[in-house]
This record gives sequence, structure tokens and C-alpha cells, in this order.
Amino acid sequence: MYFRAEKLILTTFLCAAPVALHAQFDFNLDGRPVQVHSFASQGFMYTNQNNYMTMNTTAGSFAFTDFGANVSAKLTDNFRVGAQIYDRNIGQLGKWQPTLDWAVADYKFKDWFGIRAGKVKTTLGLYNDTQDMEFLQTWALMPQSVYSLDQRGTMISHMGGDIYGDVGLKKLGGFAYTVYGGELPQDSTGGWVYAMQTSNRIGFTADGLPIIVAAPVHSIRSYAGPVYGADLRWTTPVKGLLVGYSYVNQDRSAAGTWYANNLPFHFRTDKDNTYASYVDYAIGKLRINGEYRRELFYAQQTSPSSSTVFGPTTDKDMRTGYVSAAYRLTKMLEVGSYYSRFYNSWSILHSDPLNHVYDYAITARIDLRSYLDLKVEGHFMNGTAPGITVTRGFYAADNPNGFKPDTRLLVIRVGYHL
Amino acid sequence: MYTNFDFKLSGRGIRTIGAALFLLAAQAVVAADIKIIANSSVGASAVSADELKGVFLATKSSLSDGSHVEPVLEKDGPAHEAFLKEYIGKTDSAFETYYRSLVFTGKASMPKTTPSDADMVAYVAKTKGAIGYVSAGAATAGVKTLEVK
Repeated sequence: MYFRAEKLILTTFLCAAPVALHAQFDFNLDGRPVQVHSFASQGFMYTNQNNYMTMNTTAGSFAFTDFGANVSAKLTDNFRVGAQIYDRNIGQLGKWQPTLDWAVADYKFKDWFGIRAGKVKTTLGLYNDTQDMEFLQTWALMPQSVYSLDQRGTMISHMGGDIYGDVGLKKLGGFAYTVYGGELPQDSTGGWVYAMQTSNRIGFTADGLPIIVAAPVHSIRSYAGPVYGADLRWTTPVKGLLVGYSYVNQDRSAAGTWYANNLPFHFRTDKDNTYASYVDYAIGKLRINGEYRRELFYAQQTSPSSSTVFGPTTDKDMRTGYVSAAYRLTKMLEVGSYYSRFYNSWSILHSDPLNHVYDYAITARIDLRSYLDLKVEGHFMNGTAPGITVTRGFYAADNPNGFKPDTRLLVIRVGYHL
Repeated sequence: MYTNFDFKLSGRGIRTIGAALFLLAAQAVVAADIKIIANSSVGASAVSADELKGVFLATKSSLSDGSHVEPVLEKDGPAHEAFLKEYIGKTDSAFETYYRSLVFTGKASMPKTTPSDADMVAYVAKTKGAIGYVSAGAATAGVKTLEVK
């Protein structure tokens, strides 16, 4: 039944998509304005070595598609409702399963105090809530240390609510705040679950290189938990300069079974705190920004019936960040570059390519029409950091012969939005 | 021979100063070339530049007198370009990106856009709480003009 309902939603959406994609259209329903917007993108990835993002990129892969559409209406001066559906297929991720990206009811009492509830995009750092919309970004791939395609589902949204507002400070600029809480949604087709389901296939050679070994793997039945956090951003008196800070606490649990013996499997995080600092500066056609994140993570495998810890624990301090610059040369052409660093665990050797991913990217974005863009991007990566849960695009299961330290990646992506 | 108060300008220097003066004059013309207009339901007769920026960036939905306002944009053209440059501080593409980031995350709706000054005036005149901008020379019958403090 679930399968049929899912197929029905997908079919309905795919039938509706061409209409939605043809134009943004506004109409009135019972005298109230309704807006419909949509977007889609198709990408291609090629790597010289190491398969990336669960695709066979060493042979070149077009398995990089996503699209979405939303409808929203303003019911009164202060009350809005809306929802967006999102679907993607990126290698083994997404698998064309449509998801409700967000669905909110938003009431703004005052400029400094509003409430939105439902399934809400999580405000975290500069771009957490907009990372899927490639047309908003210069890049074909966002800096993957912070906004990774494979891990996006872990903090993209929450079922619950936000309290938000804007406070003007006259000559000191203004603050925007968001405080939120709720439940993390399931992300059964994301990189976290993919890594969990394939991680026990990882073995290590005598010189430390991961290889596939015959070992039991677990199926994940559920993967969710409570979350709360806050974001504060200051539009400074310096024209074009914004600085901000975000904090999020989540307590994620996963349950399933071991394939080999069918015994129950339970995994919980006792601590998972993320701290993000960010800065954005835009002047004329130049935009510079950067972000730094630290995630303190402590997880245990327990018995689901007694909560007794019986498995290995994970205790780590993950550090990520990037700096970027983009310049619009003409109305059609924007160029940019970023440098991004990911450390899976700060406490172990930083120079180990199995513990880090360094990524230097250069991009050209061509705006063919106001609604159509093409991006050509080169990445020069060092390190792969294949983890048991937290990864950045490199999985041992997709690289059965082990990893090479360096990867050159070409990304071409076409995006459409209205 | 030059006294302490004498100075000498090369042709290049004159051109540089001339260009600077032209740019300053152009800035003044930009501000003077736009009128901020509002529906007659809006109580205020003046608006601050900060308020205007807040309203058009969707961080403010009312003016200091309590009037609820809805921003209206021109699709493109000199008045639109001048307004963004003078009051918002963003390029057209950055402004569009800003709004789309709100629309596609469920945090705001896209403002109404009009193709010309005449359409802007007509829309603002008939829409309660509407606030927009037109070229200084545009006819503004049926709407009120707000002074920018």
C-alpha cells in the first residue's frame, strides 16, 4: 500500500511538473493570491579516480537529478501557508522517492515576533535551508565540507516550529533571530543510512587502506530524534557585511537489524552539538563568504530493550569550513572559487587522507536565461575520509579496490527555476 | 612659481576629478529620479530609508505609524535599477536571489511585479497597503507620494 501511494504521488507530481515548470503562475483562490514555483536540475560528474557520491563517476555519471515545486498562499496580512515537494536521484541517494520538503503555517504577530510550524527548513549557517536550490548559488556543488549532498538530510528540516523575528537597531544595523525545536525527519535514502548499511563491509589492509570484506551489515528501520537550536545573524552597519552564529543540538537514534543473525540493532547519539560561525560580504558584483563549523558527536550502540551499551562507542570532534569568492563579470557570466576543508575527527592525524577532504573548486556560472543556468566546475580534492556514519561523498562500498588520495572532479550542471 | 596655495592639475587629474564629480552628481540624480508611492490607506506621509529597505527585504511588514504595507516592484527599467541601488544596496540579480531564497524555503511570497510606471501607479492605487516606486516624472494620480526621511 505504501509503495502504491508513493508511486501515485510520484506519478501525479511528474504529470504536474511540466505544467509547473512551464511558468511561475499566480492565481486567486477565493480572493486570496496563490503562488506556484518550481525548479529542476540535471548534473553530470566525472572523476579521474575514486567514485564519488555513490555514483560510478570514474566512468562519468548523469545520475544527478533533482526537482521540486511549491505552492503558497497568503490568507491574511499576517498569515501564510505553503508546502514544497522535493525529489532527487543522486547515485544511490534519494532514489526518486519524493519527500515533503517543507509544509508550514506562518503567523507574523510583529516584525520582531513570528511563529511558523509544520515541517520547517532548518536555519543553520548561511545556506542550510537553501542548499538544494542550485540556482541560488554560484556553485554546481556547494562546499561539501559543510553542505554535503549525501548528508543534507541529517539537518535539512525539522517537524516542529520556529520562533523568529527581525529587530532593527537603527545605526547599528539589525538582527534576525530564529529559535526552533522539533523532531528530525527520517532520511532513509541519505548518505548516513547508506554508510551505516555498507560500513560493516569495510575492512582495512595492513597498510590501513579500506577494503570490502564479508561482514554482516545492518538494515536501518528508523532513523530520527529530537532537535533544537537557534540562529542569530547581524546585518552590520558596514554595507554588505553580515555575520552570524548558529547552534543545533540533536539526539538521533537509529534502529534496525543485523543481516547476518537478524538480531536487533540500536544506535543512539547521546550528544550531537553543532556550532557554526559565518560571515558574508557583498559589495557591487563581488561576494565573499565563509563558514566554520564544529560538531561534537558521541554515539553508542545499545540493546533496544535495556539500553545497555554493548557496541563500540563513537566520540569525535568534527571540524569543517570553507571560504569562497564570486564575481559577476557580466549579466550572463559569474565566476568563483572556494576552498573547503573537512576533518572527520580533529583528535587524530589531520594529514591522513582517510581523515580529511580538502577541496579547491573553480566555477563558471552562465545564466542563459533569467530562469536557466549552466555551471561548469572543477574540483581538486585531497583525501576521502570514508566514515562509518559521517561521510563526504566517498564510500568504501563504491570503491572496492580502495581509495587513492587525490581526486579530480568535473561537474556540469544545468538548472531551471521559475 | 607656485605659492603654498597653488596646485597644478594635469589633464589626467582634471579628468579624474571630473569623473568623480560626475559620479557624485549621478548619485544625486538617482535619488531625485525616484518617487516612493503608496496606496491612500497607508497613514504615513514619510518613510525612513531603513523602513523602506526593511519593507522591500520582507523583514518589515508595517511602517512606524502602524500601517500594514505590501511592497510592489517594477520588473526592470531605470526606476527599478535606481531604487535597488539607492535604497536596497543590492544588484538586481542579488535581489532576485534574496527573494527566491525566501520563497523556496517557505519564508515569504514573491512580491507583485509590474511592467511599467503606469501599471505600478494603477496597481498601488487599487491595492490596500501597497507601496512602490516610480520615476520622478511619472504621473501619480490616485496614489500618495511618501517623503523619504
